[in-house]
Amino acid sequence: MKLLYSIYKEYKVLTRDRAGLAITFIMPTVLILIITLIQDTTFRSVNEASVPLLIVDRDNDSLSITLEKSLINSKFFVITKKQMTDEETKTEIAKGTYFIGVIIPENTSKKLREKSGARVTKLLNSFSGDTTEIESALDTNKLNVQLFFDPITKKSFKTTVSNSFERIISQIEMQSMMSALNEKMQESFPLAKPSPLEITPIVTLKEDYASYNNSSIIPNSVQHNVPAWTLFAMFFICIPLAGNIIKERDDGSAFRLLTMPGSYMIVILGKMLTYVIVSLIQFALMLCVGVFVLPMMGMPELNIGNSLPVLFLVAFASGLAATGFGLLVGTIATSHDQASLFGAVFVIILAAIGGIWVPTFVMPEVMKKISVISPLNWGLEAFYGIFLRNFGLKEIFPEVAKLLAFFAASLGGAYLYQKYKRLK
Amino acid sequence: MSILVDIQHVSKKYKDAPRAAVNDLSLTINKGDIFGLLGPNGAGKTTFISMLCGLFPTTSGEIYINGLTHKSNSRACKQVIGVVPQEIALYPKLTAWENLMFLGHMYGLGGSDLKEKVKENLTILGLEANMHQKIISYSGGMKRRVNLIAGLLHNPQLLILDEPTVGVDVQSKQAIIEHLKKLNKEKGMTILYTSHHLEEAEDFCSHIAIIDDGKLITQGATKELISSNNCNSIEEVYLKITGIKFRDK
Repeated sequence: MKLLYSIYKEYKVLTRDRAGLAITFIMPTVLILIITLIQDTTFRSVNEASVPLLIVDRDNDSLSITLEKSLINSKFFVITKKQMTDEETKTEIAKGTYFIGVIIPENTSKKLREKSGARVTKLLNSFSGDTTEIESALDTNKLNVQLFFDPITKKSFKTTVSNSFERIISQIEMQSMMSALNEKMQESFPLAKPSPLEITPIVTLKEDYASYNNSSIIPNSVQHNVPAWTLFAMFFICIPLAGNIIKERDDGSAFRLLTMPGSYMIVILGKMLTYVIVSLIQFALMLCVGVFVLPMMGMPELNIGNSLPVLFLVAFASGLAATGFGLLVGTIATSHDQASLFGAVFVIILAAIGGIWVPTFVMPEVMKKISVISPLNWGLEAFYGIFLRNFGLKEIFPEVAKLLAFFAASLGGAYLYQKYKRLK
Repeated sequence: MSILVDIQHVSKKYKDAPRAAVNDLSLTINKGDIFGLLGPNGAGKTTFISMLCGLFPTTSGEIYINGLTHKSNSRACKQVIGVVPQEIALYPKLTAWENLMFLGHMYGLGGSDLKEKVKENLTILGLEANMHQKIISYSGGMKRRVNLIAGLLHNPQLLILDEPTVGVDVQSKQAIIEHLKKLNKEKGMTILYTSHHLEEAEDFCSHIAIIDDGKLITQGATKELISSNNCNSIEEVYLKITGIKFRDK
């Protein structure tokens, strides 16, 4: 009953604080609308340099060697070579470890040479009208180089990369054909004038998004900005929460509550639960903005994935982390001004390094490594997983666990600091 | 008379502080007393009250409330105490009714009993007509009266008042003091009162203790204290004992 009444009191105080409500709900809505619109074009032309690429080379012959050389020369990719199954490759890409995965099947070069030779032979035989040999040499099956793309890659980027691969492979094919033609011509028809070389592609690219449950989502600024700014707003709750705690301390309410048997902890718990509920409402509201409002402004609709409970679990864990942080700030800060300044600056720094403003995949390597210390990054990665990769509880559990650990550490820090002050 | 509060050689020294805020303080408060704790700024009154309320531990010595200590049974000790802080410890955007209902619930009260108690107290202190107005719209005197009621809701045996009438008009001061006297007389409520209004203290308190520099300088029944010091008022006693020098640190 004490707890319920404490939550009721916080609800009353919050709903009568218009400025606080504006910060809590209007600020993130406006941020999402403005920044999603502003960043839409930027997201379409994301800097694609140094894209991590995985090559699974089962060919180890001229085609794969030439392809790798061409990719290195493009200075477009950071190449890693590994041997793994198709499914493992798909999983690696789906996890976001690499943006692109290339599988070059066994004997692709050999088959390419055979096919080139056959086509050349066919061409040369056409001079004599002999078709017997051609039918046995021409295999109608095409050779496939498999490409997997991380679901968060932009469509424009994917098209560019695919075109590049096609161009490189066409060149390799052409070289193969030319060398076969030259060989044959020198052997058999040194003086003949052959008909034009057949240039229809033998090797084609087979593309697919490497996402779970056959979901193919095209990421955009909506997919980034809605979860990003919702998390930012959730963590911004630390300012009103810390202010609330400091105000109670300054006006003697905390003193009075501390003199009541067992009440202060309940009041603090009531505060935290209230603010967690507020953060969940914020989250639901921002989802609605992504699903209903942004499409009205010509933006793509937010795809919220397949698992609403897992989505709200991440939101709940993020809300707990944010309120825990608010409690810590409120305990340590000595004045409202100090809490506002410290809380705001700290959340902005955590947001910046956590990939809220600039997504981590376009950050320099050093910043990518730093970004993993930010709880906003943990939340964002979990939301990415759900929105873009259709992750379930198992896949996002590490991020949820980190958020809960942050919450526990914040509470522990606040408790220890309070105890230290009490014994001082 | 039985003892409600027994303070035995209590000291408190904050870390890094050059001297003890409370230094070997011993005194007793009997049930039914209106006990005035007087002293200049920085004398150690707030530290003493905080220890009495169990907010932080003593460096040495023991505080017994009804024979119990905060160490042995903090819950029982706190149940005995009602606190009226010097600050207006209320939520300005809530009404008087909402504030008192919340604090009543925090004391473990509820239901129609609490509602009746809140209404009764608001009526006695002349706030019935304004009870559904937000505290932010109240005058200083009205806020003080609500602040007082908040400490009375659970019928504490010991009511601790830290400057309960500071900054209020004569009418509100009169209403507060009269209500407290009535509670003491009719319900036997023990009151620990601190103030810089020495005339008010003399009129209100049955016993007075004066502390300075963390030490107990004198204590006794108000009238005896005046006569034994050959003075005409508590103010004279106070100045005679504590001197006239400023206590700026």
